[in-house]
Amino acid sequence: MSVEDGVKYVAAAYAIILAVLVAYSVWSARRVSALEREARLLSTEVERRAKA
Amino acid sequence: MSAAPALSGRRQFWALLRKDVVSELRTKEMLISMFLFSMLAMVVFHYAFTATGDIDLSPFTGGMLWAVFVFASLLGLNRSFVHEKDEGCLDGLLLCPVDRVTIFFAKMTGNLIFLGLIQLLAVPVFTVFFVTSGYWADLSTFVAVLVLADIGICVLGTLLATIAMSTRARDLLLPIVFLPLIVPLLIAATAATTEVFSGDVTWATLWGKLAFLLGYDAVFLVAAWGTYDFAIGE
Amino acid sequence: MSAESINEAGATPTTRGKTGWRRLVDVPVLFVAAGVSLVTGLLLVFWVAPEEATMGFPYKILYFHAPIAWCALLGYLVAFVAAILYLRSNDARWDRLGMCGVRLGLVFSLLVMATGMIWGRSSWNVWWSWEPRLTTFLIACLMYCGYFVLRATVEEEERRATFAALFAVIAFINVPITFLSTRVLPGDMQHPSGVVEGGGLVGWMYPAFFVSMVGMTLLFFALLRNDLRVERLKEELAYIKNRLGS
Repeated sequence: MSVEDGVKYVAAAYAIILAVLVAYSVWSARRVSALEREARLLSTEVERRAKA
Repeated sequence: MSAAPALSGRRQFWALLRKDVVSELRTKEMLISMFLFSMLAMVVFHYAFTATGDIDLSPFTGGMLWAVFVFASLLGLNRSFVHEKDEGCLDGLLLCPVDRVTIFFAKMTGNLIFLGLIQLLAVPVFTVFFVTSGYWADLSTFVAVLVLADIGICVLGTLLATIAMSTRARDLLLPIVFLPLIVPLLIAATAATTEVFSGDVTWATLWGKLAFLLGYDAVFLVAAWGTYDFAIGE
Repeated sequence: MSAESINEAGATPTTRGKTGWRRLVDVPVLFVAAGVSLVTGLLLVFWVAPEEATMGFPYKILYFHAPIAWCALLGYLVAFVAAILYLRSNDARWDRLGMCGVRLGLVFSLLVMATGMIWGRSSWNVWWSWEPRLTTFLIACLMYCGYFVLRATVEEEERRATFAALFAVIAFINVPITFLSTRVLPGDMQHPSGVVEGGGLVGWMYPAFFVSMVGMTLLFFALLRNDLRVERLKEELAYIKNRLGS
């Protein structure tokens, strides 16, 4: 097997690893911020109702 | 008025077992279905493998046998809990002062008996269809393999069926959870059975497989013992 | 329920209110540490570590393949321990931990199989070989997918958590059993087996492996904590919405 093929395989493997882990981390972080945003909205709602 | 003395664990076990066996023998629904399924599966296997002409199936006999019985037992395992749950019998049972683990052992033994009955009929048919070499010399070994593998299937199957029956999609769920877990047993039983059917059994290679089956049975028996309260509890 | 408590309910991305070591293991810190470690690892792998004698350049895949496998098993182990703790205490936090552990375990398992297949293709020219490690991860994937199917079919929370915990325990017990059965039992076909064949680690390979292992483990814990936070937030939000709605 030639050197280029070897490099291609290694590159493919690391690319997949990077892609999956980055994608998962990003997705996870976005879930957190979306939920936090919702928490903030709810807390203002709670305040509003407490004052009313 | 004094309460009647509670039955001992052993007598409870026999009572439960008798209940399951007698009620099944009355209708024989499950037994007949499992047996017919086994026959049909064998036919399918024959045609699946002989697409390119008649070939020697001896390397595959172990695999075919256990594929047939693993799938047939799925049928039986589902059924063993279905009417309990549907007719409310299980609730009644749980109200009695019976140890949950006793219920497990009774159910498991019942399933084992049913699987054994099916095999009593289906295995000779299988050997007529597919096995060319004589394995009579190793009959006791073969029976040992059958028994050990059956125990494993029934222990794990009963535990998982208990969980599955309390879910929404019990028929669909049981195969999904059961099959990956039964793979190691399948590997060992297949290897051992193929060796027996090849007519050339060397104890050196076989004992390891039997030991593995025994170990597998023991591990999951202990696991079931420890967790059955959670599986069946309400 | 005050506004502050809703915001405090795990929703803070900063280290507000935390002291000492907890600040150190807060999520952004873990991510950064993991990133640094993994990048260092990559540098070590490609610039420092010598090329492996028998297997050549593709061997470099293993520097990340092995740590990923370790993290997958770690995920399942976390789920196993969490399951036992749940069964003993009935505390929903353990159920959440278990679920996150299984989820991460699955993600890492899929990665293991993907990299394992690429490695297999490069070394033995086959995409799949039924060798013990690969097969065990495949079976584990199938089992733990079943975990999520099980969770989906039970509506009542406590029962769902109990069944999931039970299954996590049984599944984890089955992982070493499966590995044993695939390795020891099948008779004559000798499938190429994994890392050990290559002749072992030499010299500068050690730091590369070690750093990658550390980095991947840090990433695992960062993701785990993040996922836990997500699950906790979801539950608390659902609870709050319930209360607000009523």
